[in-house]
Amino acid sequence: MRTLNPAMKFVTLLCVTFVLAFRYNPVLNLAVFALCMAALLISRVKPKTLGLLMLPILLAAVGMFFTGYRFSADASMPVAAADFLVSNSQVWNGVAQASRVLAYAGVGFLFTLTTDRILMVKSFEKQFHLPQVWAYGLLAAWGVFPQAVQEYKRTRAAFRARGLSVFPVSPALMKPLLVKSVRWSEELAIAMESKGFSGEEKRTEYMEVRVHARDWLFLIFCVALVCVFSI
Amino acid sequence: MTTKKWELKDIIMMAILGVVFSAIYLVIFDGGVVLSTVLAPTGLSNFAFEIIYGVWFMAATLAAYIIRKPGVALVTEVLASVVELLMGNSGGVTVVLTGLIQGAGAELAFALFRYKKWDLASMSLASVFSATFIFCYELYYLNYIALDPSLLIAQLAVRFVSAIVFSGVICKLAGDGLAKTGVVKSYAIGAKAKTGKVYDEED
Repeated sequence: MRTLNPAMKFVTLLCVTFVLAFRYNPVLNLAVFALCMAALLISRVKPKTLGLLMLPILLAAVGMFFTGYRFSADASMPVAAADFLVSNSQVWNGVAQASRVLAYAGVGFLFTLTTDRILMVKSFEKQFHLPQVWAYGLLAAWGVFPQAVQEYKRTRAAFRARGLSVFPVSPALMKPLLVKSVRWSEELAIAMESKGFSGEEKRTEYMEVRVHARDWLFLIFCVALVCVFSI
Repeated sequence: MTTKKWELKDIIMMAILGVVFSAIYLVIFDGGVVLSTVLAPTGLSNFAFEIIYGVWFMAATLAAYIIRKPGVALVTEVLASVVELLMGNSGGVTVVLTGLIQGAGAELAFALFRYKKWDLASMSLASVFSATFIFCYELYYLNYIALDPSLLIAQLAVRFVSAIVFSGVICKLAGDGLAKTGVVKSYAIGAKAKTGKVYDEED
């Protein structure tokens, strides 16, 4: 999974998610979820990381189960419910709603946990023809992130040192962060422009992100797989 | 200030707002999960997310309010969703698509005002449009269509209120607050705002 082209992987998984969105089949959802988990473990994602990330998802799935269980659409729906509902059982409806959450999350983690971030932006730039300003602007902003976290912690510490207790996402903490964000964006823009960045010149790259045959194979294989199983 | 063309600093501003807000989105998501777990046995756990749904539209309206150029709302929301993907969100790859849909909703509202009206009304309309757009998508994507219609109407109503509170009122206050500090002087929002003396970090 790690060696696949990020843009192609993105398209593939997007297709898979779409097929799932128009199916109402808990078995398919659970199968996709299981496959994603297997693929993640094969790609050497630590089981502990995965488990921690799955915790909120499992809770959300439980919530969706009860929603589906309690509030099933009845025959008065404008869209023929029979097309969507395989059986009228409420439990089935609940399981379908919950398994959907799991399948989407599985596919999502398969992408994020096996994709290098910088490579992803570079690949989007190359394969999706994202303009240079966006690609580098995004990378620059991404680089600011650790500083933003630092700034947040510093402000929080400052409040604590003065004996004031503030809510984690309170405006008092957000305001300095926003002010800093504006300053950073100006400074970064000036820094980039003063070093000759204009976003229009052709440039050479130290590392070219290419699409290989295996990326196409992966796309065809995955889409075919979900299509076959969803019939 | 009258130029409608994007400058590099606008783009980086949008990207940084995207980064800040996607971090907020992730924190809020976990908060929502906790809340929805509490509500789970009643079958109302969907409402946990409806209450805070407006938070997800904040990046678009705030960026548009500050920069005030066409396309800003749409692009910022997409950028925020891309960064959310980079940070490892749990909604999956389609988060970029939802960003696109929400951003398009907000953008449409500002476009209806021809990018000339920047106040609570246009921002609230942008939030409501975002909420409506994403709800139509979720009908299919999250299979909400299989849920009871009266539940759905209630959900939509709560979502509208949340959208107006978070990305209408709070974003407006945040934007005005920023304008008052003077840091956004070089953006459209700060051009007219009355500010005191601006102290630089190094002073």
